[in-house]
Amino acid sequence: MAERLTAPIYGVVDYLLTWARKFSIWPVHFVTGCCSPEFMQVSGSRFDMERLGVLPFASVRQCDCLMVVGVISRKMGERVKYLYEQMGEPKFVVSVGACPTGRGPFYDSYATVAIDDLVPVDVYIPGCPPRPEAIIHGLMLLQEKIRRECGFRAGKE
Amino acid sequence: MSEPEIKPEVMRISWGPQHPMSGQTRILIDVDGEVVRRIIADIGFTHRGIEKILENRTFIQGIVPIERMVMADTANIALGYVQAVEEALGIEVPERAKWIRSLICEMGRINSHLYAFGLQVECTGYFPAVFLWTTVDREVLLDLFEKLTGARWSYSFFIPGGVRADLPEGFRDEVRRAVRYLRRRFQDYWDAMVENPLFEMRNRGVGVLSREDAIRLGATGPVLRGSGVDMDVRKDEPYAAYGDLDFKVITEKEGDCLARLKVRFHEIEQSLNIMEQIADEIPGGPVRTKVPLFPRSKPGVEALSRVETARGELGVHIFTDGGLKPYRVKINSPTLRNMYVFERLAELGRVLVADLPVILYSIDPWYLDCDR
Amino acid sequence: MQARSEEELVEELKREHSELLHDAIVHRSKRVSVIAKRERVLELARILRDQYGFTQPVSAGAVDYIKEGRMQMIYYLMNPKTRFMLMLRVDLPRDDPRMPSITEIWDAMNFHEREAWEMFGINFEGHPNLTHLLLPPDWRGGYPLRKDFRGEGIRP
Repeated sequence: MAERLTAPIYGVVDYLLTWARKFSIWPVHFVTGCCSPEFMQVSGSRFDMERLGVLPFASVRQCDCLMVVGVISRKMGERVKYLYEQMGEPKFVVSVGACPTGRGPFYDSYATVAIDDLVPVDVYIPGCPPRPEAIIHGLMLLQEKIRRECGFRAGKE
Repeated sequence: MSEPEIKPEVMRISWGPQHPMSGQTRILIDVDGEVVRRIIADIGFTHRGIEKILENRTFIQGIVPIERMVMADTANIALGYVQAVEEALGIEVPERAKWIRSLICEMGRINSHLYAFGLQVECTGYFPAVFLWTTVDREVLLDLFEKLTGARWSYSFFIPGGVRADLPEGFRDEVRRAVRYLRRRFQDYWDAMVENPLFEMRNRGVGVLSREDAIRLGATGPVLRGSGVDMDVRKDEPYAAYGDLDFKVITEKEGDCLARLKVRFHEIEQSLNIMEQIADEIPGGPVRTKVPLFPRSKPGVEALSRVETARGELGVHIFTDGGLKPYRVKINSPTLRNMYVFERLAELGRVLVADLPVILYSIDPWYLDCDR
Repeated sequence: MQARSEEELVEELKREHSELLHDAIVHRSKRVSVIAKRERVLELARILRDQYGFTQPVSAGAVDYIKEGRMQMIYYLMNPKTRFMLMLRVDLPRDDPRMPSITEIWDAMNFHEREAWEMFGINFEGHPNLTHLLLPPDWRGGYPLRKDFRGEGIRP
């Protein structure tokens, strides 16, 4: 009898937990390259990303997402790694633009680095720069991933 | 009870790339209490090696990397490169293409100045509201770019020989409507921000750069014009259609942050006038001369082309060696010159730590431009 | 200092200071080049700044002519009154690229000379701070903008 009651409660708690997590993704206020104006347009009032709960925040320890927006050079790559290590769990990485994904238009340069060499990535958003609709779609894909993987039962199966 | 004596010591603050108001750079500040003793700009966080990449691209392929130097103002930078290629290969451009080039360049200039204005106001007191107003006003211009070229920021519209396509039907009316809307909004900005006594208190007399220092340290763009020097490449060496257009070079005398802001503001007004002139008086004709897709250059030719971007003067110097790709492309970036001025400002006058973001954004750096 | 046209400037330089320079050319309107001798470049720079009014430094960069065995360092200068651009060029042999630093005359060439050092390996004697500007401080890969640089991904 006790088991028949607790299973639906786990489901409800799971739903509430992932709902809260996915609608309050706070990325670190960190832009690395030229996709940054498009990212700022997404936070403007036409393609508002705060209605999804996404608020760029200054302090790394209180954020849960690292959005790497734009091309990564070698010097910046070290900082990306430090920031990833300083965030608390659960943490996600979104790579915005063609440059972090695969070096973009600078594919044969001595100075650029792809993000797969630095940190594990959850969502890749291609484009040069990606349209604001594409960035919002990428954030929604991240929300689905959180729904599937970050609940109460995550890691228990 | 007597208190222990405070000995002033210098503390080094690292204002690094992960900061809401620093941009993609690291600035080391040696601080003694509140007064800044020394500023060291540690740039290079967005270095992509564009000059090396351009040696491995044909002349028309080179437009793509060089456009990504300043994303808000791609028109002016692409124009610098395309004009240098045309001079090196001896290509002529028809009249209508020059007028269309001027129109797009002025729209890019307004785009960039709105961005700079929004950021300078935001860092004065963390007013993201005004920055978001300018973000929305830029959508008007980005919609125009999208109607014309299909892309919002990196449109690659200029090619050696002219522009890629003609203006679509009704584009000139859209331009006039956008100009009327932006003029109304600028009256709001002036009243809300520039004539605001709190804003003036934080910007007047801060970061003063005298006329001699501005020339000696190599400042460029609104930083130079805010100190009373009326150098503007559009008037000194007219390119595109600027020889036929009627506009003024804006200068202010004081050389502080408020003067630089006013220079940018009035430049937006002048750009709106230019856009209206072009929409009314643009001549007809073809928009492109027929040029082979992979032109071969003559050996030993050099071409230096200077344009006025929103941040200052950009120079593109192309050296050819008879192949399909340039031998060397040297880019003279405006922000690298202005960052040196920023480093020396701590020695010129008394700078407090709290004023540093305001001064930095009144110089309007775009680090992708200085790192290339 | 009355405004001089490009041809007058070139004539006067060749006439009065011919021991300091190899050649002076006018490319087109508003573009003048002066090729200086490596040992006398500081004197020529001082004369250009004080007598001819080239007080505004614009930029500096280098070109690697590997087939001819030389590198050419170019300084771009501007005169605020006459508004034309002067390119001060210095030829350096490729196996011994060093020259006196122009920061004595125009302070703002500081950043540009640092960049030329880290990209080409030109040693500027007398520069106050010759360290990496754009590349990471522990860069060990060579001089990127030389023509024989074999970094990753660069196709020959």
